[in-house]
Amino acid sequence: MTKRSAVIGTMAVWIAIACAGAIRGQETRSVWDGVYTAEQAKRGEALYGQHCASCHGGALLGAEEAPALTGFEFGANWSGLTLGDLFERIRMSMPADDPGKVSAQQKADIVAHMLKVGGFPAGPTELPRDQQVLTQIKYLATKP
Amino acid sequence: MLPTFRPVALPLLSLLVALTCTDAGLAGQGRQRDGEWTTYGGDLASRRYRPFDQINRDNFKDLEVAWRFKTDALGARPEFNFQSTPLMVNGVLYTTAGTRRAVVALDAANGELLWMHREDEGKRGEAAPRKLSGRGLAYWTDGREERIVYVTPGYQMIGLDAKTGRRVPGFGRNGVVDLKLEMDQTIDLETGEVGLHAAPIISGNTIVVGAAHLPGGVPKSRNHEKGYIRGYDARTGKRLWIFHTLPQKGEFGNDTWLQDSWSYTGNVGVWAQMTIDEELGMLYMPVELPTGDYYGGHRPGNGLFGESLVAIDLKTGQRKWHYQLVHHGIWDFDIPCAPILADITVNGRTIKAIAQPTKQNWLYVFDRVTGQPVWPIEERPVAKGDVPGEWYAPTQPFVTKPAPYDLQGVSIDDLIDFTPELRAEAVTLVSRYKIGPLFTPPPVSKWEGPRGLIMVPSSTGGANWPGGALDPETNILYIYSFRQPTVIGMINDPARSDMNFINGQARDPDAPPPAPAAPGAAPAAAGEGGGPALTVQGLPLLKPPYGSITATDLNKGEIVWQVAHGETPDAVRNHPALKGLNIPRTGRAAGRIGTLVTKTLVIAGEPGFFTMPNGQRGAMLRAYDKASGAEVGAVPMPAPQTGSPITYMLNGRQYLAVPISGAGYSGELMVFRVPQPATTTSSR
Repeated sequence: MTKRSAVIGTMAVWIAIACAGAIRGQETRSVWDGVYTAEQAKRGEALYGQHCASCHGGALLGAEEAPALTGFEFGANWSGLTLGDLFERIRMSMPADDPGKVSAQQKADIVAHMLKVGGFPAGPTELPRDQQVLTQIKYLATKP
Repeated sequence: MLPTFRPVALPLLSLLVALTCTDAGLAGQGRQRDGEWTTYGGDLASRRYRPFDQINRDNFKDLEVAWRFKTDALGARPEFNFQSTPLMVNGVLYTTAGTRRAVVALDAANGELLWMHREDEGKRGEAAPRKLSGRGLAYWTDGREERIVYVTPGYQMIGLDAKTGRRVPGFGRNGVVDLKLEMDQTIDLETGEVGLHAAPIISGNTIVVGAAHLPGGVPKSRNHEKGYIRGYDARTGKRLWIFHTLPQKGEFGNDTWLQDSWSYTGNVGVWAQMTIDEELGMLYMPVELPTGDYYGGHRPGNGLFGESLVAIDLKTGQRKWHYQLVHHGIWDFDIPCAPILADITVNGRTIKAIAQPTKQNWLYVFDRVTGQPVWPIEERPVAKGDVPGEWYAPTQPFVTKPAPYDLQGVSIDDLIDFTPELRAEAVTLVSRYKIGPLFTPPPVSKWEGPRGLIMVPSSTGGANWPGGALDPETNILYIYSFRQPTVIGMINDPARSDMNFINGQARDPDAPPPAPAAPGAAPAAAGEGGGPALTVQGLPLLKPPYGSITATDLNKGEIVWQVAHGETPDAVRNHPALKGLNIPRTGRAAGRIGTLVTKTLVIAGEPGFFTMPNGQRGAMLRAYDKASGAEVGAVPMPAPQTGSPITYMLNGRQYLAVPISGAGYSGELMVFRVPQPATTTSSR
């Protein structure tokens, strides 16, 4: 092994360790870490009013068939799962009349609005629509 | 010396019990055959009772999964709110399931799929106000033919051959009765806002179907489809009668609609299950409220038969009696579930009674022949609100007995008090809202306050659609209820409704409006800035119990016992502010739970998820001693109960079927039984 290849190998190991650390860091992110932006939540509020409020109520407190999307019971049911789980649930089944009429990006915005109403802090980066990334963000009802 | 049973004797004994046990009283209700569960409520009296005892206090904890059936493929996407109550007839379990509301027939012994029926209703199904798997289906036989009857999301009644799953050609048009026709009003077949998720109810050759609509907190218009109730011939699908739950000109009750408001107002359907007394030939209908769940300014008057229990002749549809439980409702106290029949004895007098559980936590008990209350129901003055244009009923009926089975209204004393700090925060939170006793009217929402009425029970109860269960041997009625506050405020938003007021909350006038969405999209919910979570440091605003099961003796009109149903939520158990405190089991409120009563047990699954004793996320199926309320056993399930449990006997073994689903867990039918005793000789 040449000295150069040894250096490259060492660097590769360090990069790999750093990447793994970054991934681990992502895995430990939660909704308490500022995972959406205030601007995104504002967009989500408008979208929620158009597509969700008629069943889930303007205050997200649910009505008849549609469960609340905020509050203690919602938190208890989803706590421990990930935003990927929540996003996937919405992606495949909501709005119930036609899940396809709201885009993935819009659904991410609606989730941002739900987080804002739920009292979770906004941050500098928008919530992505990529489910794989969302799966690395835990939904924790109470602050860890 | 006591006799001992060899293991093989157990199934034989159970079979004997099943064959010899017949329901006490109300004989013949629904021609219930031993071992089976042939109608939604267990019988037409809606008692959800079976006198089986193979599953009992000694072995409940040992229940094993006999089989399970996942519903994901019954529709274009999985369903997460599987609410059906299955039927079991002749060894076959029938249920609606999946987002398409398909019907499946399964071998009740092992879950093998025997047939599946689906209707692809296209846009009609997509526009349906009541989607998903629905509450269940109905079974009919004349002794030769057997049929399964159900209502699709698009409001078509389908008649199927119970053996093959094929449509019955002679029923309606090729097995289909279009329920949007012959409804005494013009309804758009594709977009007309009427549907049903309840199961039809059948007695003799009469099928009865109700009507449901979208939730009515924010109706687009004061003009709305009416929810009339109809009877059909089970053989032909021909309409036999129609009952105008919103009476037309010249009909009884029309004068309770002032200013001709009957002509354009809608709803007043029956979305709950109904009940039949076959001996009396009477159908009992729990009716919902008219258009506008929280604002009735466009429908002045008491508005019969809104929020009334109505008894009609099953054969003719003619009214026999009615009792309005809420006058001119503005709280969405639709009567949510089947009334329950019981032949009770009060002070030595036998009464053919009917008990109606409600969202508002009163059990209303009447003589079901005459409609007279068994215990006094008093008209008492109630507060008048100040929403412009609203018409307020000056009095409301107050039940004097039995006592309410859960909280009615909110006072400071009802707020969380685990610690003085939590109570203080709760008091601050509610200071921005209006609180008060039952029948406190919702206010106009103002940012500076009151932002709305904190309403308990909320529009979802209290009790809700699963209703209760009754033990006919003791006349004790068991019901689950929950405490979950909601906020009701009145706002004006002409962009969304031609009603003067709809449900919503004032926005912070200093906050920027929500960002506009895509061009051409419908207007956003102006006037609604999201909502309060109504939590205190993430904990429920109210004191526990959050969910309860209450046993009420209908002979005495007294509560016998009450237990918190459901283990304490994780967020309470693990909350830092509660560290070191000893908090008794709180129950859980995250769902609507049906109860089942057997020879010795009351059985119900938990609502919502928690971390189970085995460390996994899920919910427990629990059994209580029906006499004392003491828990006698529990088994884990991967998700909460969402449909109501049933029990049946098959080949000498008792089964327990529970529909489950929930956050991140799609619908599944779980079927339990006691493990088969070992009968083989050991080999050494």
